[in-house]
Amino acid sequence: MAKTILAVDDSASIRQMVAFTLKGAGYEVIEAVDGQDALDKANIHKVNLVLTDINMPRMDGLKLLELLRKLAHYKTVPILMLTTESGDEIKAKGRAAGATGWLVKPFDPKRLLEVIGKVIG
Amino acid sequence: MAEKQSVEDQIKNQMVDTPVPEDQSGVLCTAEADEYFMGIKGELNQIDRLVSDAVNNLVINFRYISRLTKSHHDMVLAIEKMAAPEGSKPILELLDKQMDIAGKIEQELEMAITSLQFGDLVTQLLAHTTHQVEILKIELQRIDRQGNWKKKVGEESLHTIHEGISKAVDVAKNKNKRKPVVQQGMQMGDIELF
Repeated sequence: MAKTILAVDDSASIRQMVAFTLKGAGYEVIEAVDGQDALDKANIHKVNLVLTDINMPRMDGLKLLELLRKLAHYKTVPILMLTTESGDEIKAKGRAAGATGWLVKPFDPKRLLEVIGKVIG
Repeated sequence: MAEKQSVEDQIKNQMVDTPVPEDQSGVLCTAEADEYFMGIKGELNQIDRLVSDAVNNLVINFRYISRLTKSHHDMVLAIEKMAAPEGSKPILELLDKQMDIAGKIEQELEMAITSLQFGDLVTQLLAHTTHQVEILKIELQRIDRQGNWKKKVGEESLHTIHEGISKAVDVAKNKNKRKPVVQQGMQMGDIELF
């Protein structure tokens, strides 16, 4: 059975590029437009991995990460941050909140798939 | 559900807790200066709309070309299977070349995925720049209100205006949010697993 990935980004073009890459590799993809939308969808679908942007309206990626880690199912699910941000301070915040990894945009599809393959097997 | 906000909307949200003075006409931030700031914001917003429009179109083109490439690839494979029993060498050679071309198009499309992410970076930078302009305008207005300019004349007035501008710029710099995009090109970003 295909593994499901929740892709969270307020940019429609990024969501489409992520979905295109992941679906091409056989993953099922659920898209969310911000942290709140992602949280709602994460409660309905028990996904295998979350790939989230940081700077988003309504709820940012760090808050989403923090709230997901409080949910039983998401305590161990890999959560990767895919963002333009690359500062040490914000990275440390992500790490402390329980992020599995940090990917700086723009992403390369092959490398993205390698990393995802590594964390969800 | 919230989709990508326009630069204007993002700034409105960021500014919601910043009190805007009622009287917008002053010495530092005159009505003309205010109009000028509005013009800059309008142009940044226009750039954002143009870039977003271009990115949307490019993504549509990308998806269409990628579907065509996949069906071309499948078609060549099917023809190759049909031609194989006959063992026609020139046909098989041509089909091999077709497969090479299809493979190269797919590689190029993969590379385009990285470049097509420029819209997101540009939108975030535009929002950041618009925010900087808005903060400076608000600080100039605030200092205008505190300045009591009418009591000052001549050189004293000029000196105080310079001081006011410097103060506004300093406060604007301090209030500025961290720059969300530091990338200088569209090369792939770093990856770190914790």
